[in-house]
Amino acid sequence: MQTEMKTWAVADVTRHADDILTLRVLDVPPANPGQFFLVWLPGVDEKPISVSNQSESGTELTICGVGEWSRAMMTVVPGDRIGLRGPFGNGFTLTDNSLLVGGGMGIAPLRYLAHRLMEEGRTFDMALGARSATGLIFAGEFGRWGARFATDDGTMGDTGTVTDVIRDMVDLRAYDSLYACGPEAMLVAVKVVADDHNLPFQFAVERLMKCGIGLCGHCSLDGSGIRLCVEGPVLDRKMVEATTEFGLPHRDASGRRRS
Amino acid sequence: MVDLAVNIAGVRLPNPTVVASGILGVSASSAGLAVAHGAGAVTLKSCGPEPRTGHRGPTIVPVPGGLLNAVGLSNPGAAAVCDEIRTFKDRYDVPLIASIFGRTEAEFAAVGEVISEASPDLLEINVSCPNVASEFGTPFGLDREATGRITRLVKEVAGEIPVLVKLSPQAHNLGSLASHCQESGADGITAINSLGPGMAIDVYTRRPVLSNEVGGLSGRAILPVAVRAVHEIARNVTIPIIGTGGIATTEDALQMILAGATAVGIGTGVHSRGIDIFDEIGEGIAAYLEEGGFSCLDEIRGAIHAD
Repeated sequence: MQTEMKTWAVADVTRHADDILTLRVLDVPPANPGQFFLVWLPGVDEKPISVSNQSESGTELTICGVGEWSRAMMTVVPGDRIGLRGPFGNGFTLTDNSLLVGGGMGIAPLRYLAHRLMEEGRTFDMALGARSATGLIFAGEFGRWGARFATDDGTMGDTGTVTDVIRDMVDLRAYDSLYACGPEAMLVAVKVVADDHNLPFQFAVERLMKCGIGLCGHCSLDGSGIRLCVEGPVLDRKMVEATTEFGLPHRDASGRRRS
Repeated sequence: MVDLAVNIAGVRLPNPTVVASGILGVSASSAGLAVAHGAGAVTLKSCGPEPRTGHRGPTIVPVPGGLLNAVGLSNPGAAAVCDEIRTFKDRYDVPLIASIFGRTEAEFAAVGEVISEASPDLLEINVSCPNVASEFGTPFGLDREATGRITRLVKEVAGEIPVLVKLSPQAHNLGSLASHCQESGADGITAINSLGPGMAIDVYTRRPVLSNEVGGLSGRAILPVAVRAVHEIARNVTIPIIGTGGIATTEDALQMILAGATAVGIGTGVHSRGIDIFDEIGEGIAAYLEEGGFSCLDEIRGAIHAD
């Protein structure tokens, strides 16, 4: 693990859409699927980003430009230096015979999970959704693995949400576990389906992090107090049900709960 | 049987480990995580009158010997902190210390008044944050007269709530400053705040690592400075001291107590040792007392003064 700040030159950049790209960086410390790095863009800010793949050919970080920092990340070109600290967080526990459910940018950490499940010979299916086809990152790769797609506007796969897709799956009981990452409203809906089928799950959850290393308490979940940056970001059913804020508005940068 | 309980200005702590301000103190639930791991009291993150987002990242980075931090006093504002204080007091039975800061002397009093309505067990005045100098100017805590005035102002609005003053080790004549705080009505001293500020530079991008460029140094590197500061303060006051700065082990905590601290603040140790540090130090102190044939911490506090 890299604890002190260190900068790496970006090896290459893959553009998925105007506002989505994947950076590849070489010789970064090994991470487990679901873990994240704190990514520093010097002069701008530092944010947690989960690993979208890691292999001998490098570590990939997939970013969508939505805020000041992430929009600035869209201008990064090969050779630029970014700071990386990590990996941090608990990561996913790998299981057999699972269903992976991803929405929007939540697809990114599931990609690394899928690669690792594949390497270990563990079987899985995937259901992935986004607003439209341009937001369905890595669709080509996942399509070859038989993933089912859904888009809000019908530009790829079923028209509707990924939760609609899994709700319609008649053989849901055949899975032993479910992984999901995406907008929290999606996770709330996926949990209803998982609960209906008594399916164990692991959700990768997002919160605003300030220090990212377990000190400040900013990403502690109400109720349980667990720190998403240390005990999370992957939560199982017990951890989800121990918090009183799942699916509710989060704290902003001041620590104030949005209403 | 060893009794780990200590008394700070009439407030009983079940053990002397205190969560330092800025650590896990955003919400009742985050502070509760430390309680679940054995903390004897918690200090909430310092709050001001209005919500502040603080500095951009990086805000806390490890450096050799500890951490450099410039979070920038992010806080949801005193009114929202009152809600967290009430929630905490409903849920947990260890004492809660609210921490306040102000841009002006009057603002300390205004924030103190709002926070006092939520009845924290203790009120800590943060006059020594080293991370906002570019915005706030030199910390009040380096100025003896200003520190005394702020102490008196906050005492007036705090009613029955005991008031602690958190001091910087960089104040000129620390013992005299602490004594002046006591004369101004302080019920206790918290020492020390982080040191510096310091700076860390990434040599490849040739930029300071912290977004604020400079930040306070905490962690093991500052332990000897903190122990010296507590010793110096203890020789000059009769009010209790929460000895804070670089405590990572039982022996570190015992050094503070032998120097004269009543309780020990723990912050950076949560990073270096993990959240179990409160339980570990509590158990370690109990074992030390038992082996030495002592029954409580009163019997060893300030014991290096003996000769």
